[in-house]
Amino acid sequence: MRIFNPSFGLAAAGPAKVTLQPINWATDAIALISNSKPNARELLEGVRAMLGAHRPVDNIHFHAKNSASQPAPKELIEKVAKNYKGALLALGD
Amino acid sequence: MKDIAEQEVIDIGDMDVEAFNEYATEQGWSDGMPLFVPTEAKVAKFVETVRGDNRPYAPVPPRQIVPTVQALAANAVMAGCKPEYFPVVTAALRGVLDPEYNLHGTLATTHSCAPMVMVSGPIRHELNINCGTNCFGQGRQANATIGRALGLMLLNVAGAKPGEMDRSTQGNPAKFTFCFGENEEENPWTPYHVQRGFAPTDSVVTVMSGEGPHNLNDHGSTTGDGLLTTFAGGMSNPGSNTIYGKGPMFVIIGPEHAATLKRDGFTIDSIREELWKRSRVHLSRVSKENLVTYETTGHKPDGDWLTIGRDPNDIHITVAGGPGKHSAFIPSFGGTTVSCTRIAR
Repeated sequence: MRIFNPSFGLAAAGPAKVTLQPINWATDAIALISNSKPNARELLEGVRAMLGAHRPVDNIHFHAKNSASQPAPKELIEKVAKNYKGALLALGD
Repeated sequence: MKDIAEQEVIDIGDMDVEAFNEYATEQGWSDGMPLFVPTEAKVAKFVETVRGDNRPYAPVPPRQIVPTVQALAANAVMAGCKPEYFPVVTAALRGVLDPEYNLHGTLATTHSCAPMVMVSGPIRHELNINCGTNCFGQGRQANATIGRALGLMLLNVAGAKPGEMDRSTQGNPAKFTFCFGENEEENPWTPYHVQRGFAPTDSVVTVMSGEGPHNLNDHGSTTGDGLLTTFAGGMSNPGSNTIYGKGPMFVIIGPEHAATLKRDGFTIDSIREELWKRSRVHLSRVSKENLVTYETTGHKPDGDWLTIGRDPNDIHITVAGGPGKHSAFIPSFGGTTVSCTRIAR
């Protein structure tokens, strides 16, 4: 007996490949992004404090999605891509 | 596009139904209840019912594969659908693929949300979909299997496996199936799909990522104003996602409650306005820690109150059910939308 596979599908065409630029974690601007769930901000504050022991932190900034349950808006992603060399994401819950 | 490294058609030899169910469970295809066997012949009958609908499907998140019609039909067969239900199921799938529905978020969340499927228009009676007594409950093949088929598609095509991609803390019985019809015949206002711009003769599927129905019991109130006080009290919930997630919700009014509200001059719009005002949550009912979280994530209170959605239009209203003094509140995941799709026929 032959059956159709209920989980079969075709792979979607993926997004264009991005070439990552090198980052100097000792000096470059870094975005700390919260998913807006409880404790994500606290995690990022801890990261920023730990980084502060090794480098300047005046160009390390906090950002957050405006909804924990929805994808980050395009504007936020573009802003981070334009202004920072690196980003660290915290997934609180 | 290239094929996922799986076979579209599988030869399972001479398995009987019990052996197939063991095999399907091993593959991760089961919701825990017995499945029908998606043979080539059965799947072909289902595919015939959607021949006129040639629109491609978007990739289905989180797995991000483009489903074939045969794979979708296999899930509907396994769920126990009749072939004629399949256009309703595919319309429901198109609804949850609306980007604003946020399928990835609603499937991967720790929240208990499940896809609510509401059917409007003439197809309700053609398929014997229950719109009246016990419409959210058991007893009709169409209600039971249309909702189940969508759930199986989300399991097998979207990849929402419990404990893996589906991270729901407690889940929800509505994840097995949650499908009902509008009771348009006892709706003294406008059927929901017509509120949304469709013709009364259109058959439409509406989906929302919702919790199960919360009962709104009011046997005592004899006025529309009294009923709305009860409804709002049931909706005013500091533990609801929409208190900070801000999103849509349904109030499904029972026909007897609807008749009282209509008699007292309430319209869909005035009911929305009244429920919006009366269902706010006083800050004294919200923990200090949550208030800090809401403030820091942009959900500031309005004076001493938190609203349960963005504005009155987040409250969607229609009529379903049979005799009795009960209505239902169905809050959503929050970051989602109410999506309507005309059933291709």
